[in-house]
Amino acid sequence: MGFLSEIKHYLRVYRRYLSTSASQAMSFRTSFVLLIIMDLLFTGSSYFKISFIYDHIEVIDHWVRHQLMFFVTFMLALNALNTTLLSTNFWMFSDDLKTGNLDYILLKPVSSIYIVFFRYIKPSGIPNIILTHSLLIYFGMQNNLGFIEWLMLPFLIVLSFTLYALIQFVISCSMFWLIEGLGINFLRLQMQELARWPDFIFSKYLRTVFMSAIPILLVGSGPVHFIFDRSYWYLIPLMLLLCFILYYLLHFIWNRGLTHYDSASS
Amino acid sequence: MIKADKLTKKFTTYKKEPGLSGAIKSFYQRDAIHKYAVKDFDLDIKSGEIIGLLGPNGAGKTTLMKMFTGIIVPSSGEIVVAGHVPSKREKAFRKKIALVMGQKSQLWWDIPALDSFLLLQKYYEVPDSKFNKKINEMGEMLGVTELFDVHVRKLSLGERMKLELMASLLHEPEVLFLDEPTIGLDLIAQENIRNFIKEYHEENNLTVILTSHYMQDVQALCKDLVLIAGGEKAFDGPLKSFEKVLGHKKSVYFTFKDAISLDDQFFKEKDVQVLKGGREIELKIDESDLRDLSSHIIQNYPVIDFHTEKIPIEKVMKSIMKNPEILNQ
Amino acid sequence: MSHAKKWLQTMKISWVKNTAYRFNFFLQVIGPALIFFFVKYSLWKTIYKSSPEEMIQGYTFTAMITYHIWSFVVSMIGQGHSALDMAVDIRMGRISSYLIYPFNFWEFHTASFLSFQILQIIISIVTLGIFLATGILESLSFFHFFLGLSASIYVSLFWFVLQYLTGIIGFWLEETWIIRVSLQVITVFLSGAVFPLDLFPEVWRNILDYTPFPYLTYYPIKIFMGQEVPYLKFIYTLGAWLITVLTINTIVWRRGIRNYTAAGM
Repeated sequence: MGFLSEIKHYLRVYRRYLSTSASQAMSFRTSFVLLIIMDLLFTGSSYFKISFIYDHIEVIDHWVRHQLMFFVTFMLALNALNTTLLSTNFWMFSDDLKTGNLDYILLKPVSSIYIVFFRYIKPSGIPNIILTHSLLIYFGMQNNLGFIEWLMLPFLIVLSFTLYALIQFVISCSMFWLIEGLGINFLRLQMQELARWPDFIFSKYLRTVFMSAIPILLVGSGPVHFIFDRSYWYLIPLMLLLCFILYYLLHFIWNRGLTHYDSASS
Repeated sequence: MIKADKLTKKFTTYKKEPGLSGAIKSFYQRDAIHKYAVKDFDLDIKSGEIIGLLGPNGAGKTTLMKMFTGIIVPSSGEIVVAGHVPSKREKAFRKKIALVMGQKSQLWWDIPALDSFLLLQKYYEVPDSKFNKKINEMGEMLGVTELFDVHVRKLSLGERMKLELMASLLHEPEVLFLDEPTIGLDLIAQENIRNFIKEYHEENNLTVILTSHYMQDVQALCKDLVLIAGGEKAFDGPLKSFEKVLGHKKSVYFTFKDAISLDDQFFKEKDVQVLKGGREIELKIDESDLRDLSSHIIQNYPVIDFHTEKIPIEKVMKSIMKNPEILNQ
Repeated sequence: MSHAKKWLQTMKISWVKNTAYRFNFFLQVIGPALIFFFVKYSLWKTIYKSSPEEMIQGYTFTAMITYHIWSFVVSMIGQGHSALDMAVDIRMGRISSYLIYPFNFWEFHTASFLSFQILQIIISIVTLGIFLATGILESLSFFHFFLGLSASIYVSLFWFVLQYLTGIIGFWLEETWIIRVSLQVITVFLSGAVFPLDLFPEVWRNILDYTPFPYLTYYPIKIFMGQEVPYLKFIYTLGAWLITVLTINTIVWRRGIRNYTAAGM
């Protein structure tokens, strides 16, 4: 009972986040339009990049054009979710730490991790979510996905997004220890850059690191490998396991961070 | 309602030598510097009281407030606020308290205040009917109802502060912490805020802890006063007895039509100061002598105006800072 | 104080500012360029893996990697300066001090830019040294290096005035970073920073020839690689664009400042 009402409470808060964010976006209408254009430019250039390369070659490693296209779209869809639902929060977090506004967040009767990482939503990302997910269906059809794969796809997106989010949360926690948190956001962006490509383009050593210890490559390559080849099934429980580990790690680091924050403020 | 026992907060910083060699050196050998922001602080505040927390900059006021609200954890000692240990940051505790910081804003900058209120309503799970009643009441009291739909960034500092106060009271906290709520405001806005706090306190009987740079805030709102200096408590008691530290003195000012001479025997043994070239005087007298002295002066000198003042708290503070022993007398 | 001294002092200050948070500077400026190079290196290595001797549009694996190394250098020197957030200055009213100082707003930013460029050139040379030492870059001709460096610095001037333009749009727009990022996305893709423009379809290449994009990365890389490039065309096309944007900047600034002072911020 307590758990259910707790969930309801958090959902109600989230609905307010949606409306405050919408209200905020509407007060900057030019930015809103420009943001949509920026997303489209990014999505477009990502496709042309792959397409132009495949004009001259047949395969990259063992993937043909429509396979890599599916992978790229999967990552673009995740990124669209990420920019819409999360990314603003990472930038605001560094501000809140600097200005001490985190104090107010700590006072609220809601988990501070929740407020810090979910408070800001960017409605301008919604068109891009729709576009990339439609494209994902299109390239899914090009790859002749079976019934089971289609059924698994939404679940895989949620799983990947969860893993993706947790990795970014953990990285962002390091801002507690840095005076200028901006750099960490760039580190996060560089992680994203790595994740935009399938794991097999990287050397064996790096692949191992980025598929386990810092599982950023697993975010896209895990589910897509599994969709193309069922023998990669073990990547899915691995992702689940890592989600659990990262979840606990996040809480651990967060609490350490708060202790540090407390000693830094007087 | 609030009880602190030997409360201590120690900050540890490390000496750092400049440059690369310093950085490398500090890696394996660091010299710790301990600084007490608050030391052995006892406090006992009863439910429904308004307490003023005074002290110079860096005395530890904000550190105390942060420990009371659970933002930072004490190094040692104990605190209980509204039946909770703040540093545990229990949900029930967070619903009972509120903190307003004059220097920081909890309202969203780019949207109307009402949107922020609605979000806070959800945070604190305030039922709709109560929420509506609350914002209407407080909006009336503060005269800001028509500002609910204005973007916060377009408001003046005074208007924003009123809305900040409202935001922190929506969930009807039992304890309200006000950290410099009137800082940077003009005199009228300061008074508005003070009146609101006074009125709201009378109606809701909550416990309030107030820090301020403006003594008028404390004089207008608090019966009791805690003075903190260098992280330690210097005084704790009724505002009146604090003022009594310098005796039952009052300042009386007389303005005359023409400059008067103070050679009279009458002024000889009085504590008098000549202002405006003899056209005004300030007399420091015991409260009990007020009647006799005033009537004497009004009858014998060309008085055109006069008024009395309590000896301002600032002066009392300054004397205590300079000479802490007076408190022990 | 003589005017040159003001410039020198400004350059010093921004040098200190840039290097103060070394870790952040690394993550913000050098890191992205390195990761970008690393990802491209890995990608092309995978593509050429099956047949290292194969040519793709005239590029062997070694030529492709050399292209990307110079692409790294051009992006560092030519388009490295993107941290220009004048919009914040404008919105916070900080610009007002420059209306009073006997030192202009553009002078302040140009001096900062120059100081940043010196830092970028040093970093580029160090990185090149590492590429050379590890054998990723096979050889280096000093003549072409200096030619390429000059071309990159020329490009950086154009990039700077373009960035400046996006900055002073802040008189009208709250968040100019969106325009800057968009510009970056388009430029990286269309200038040949992702891969040589030779891999683009014929139609695209013909159209791009009428835009400034190929001059921003593709041609400077060719110059570094010692290939035949229409030098004169490079100089006057980019020059024409430089003057055009500079003119627009002057007009935009005049209008903006009128707006700004009229609003009495």
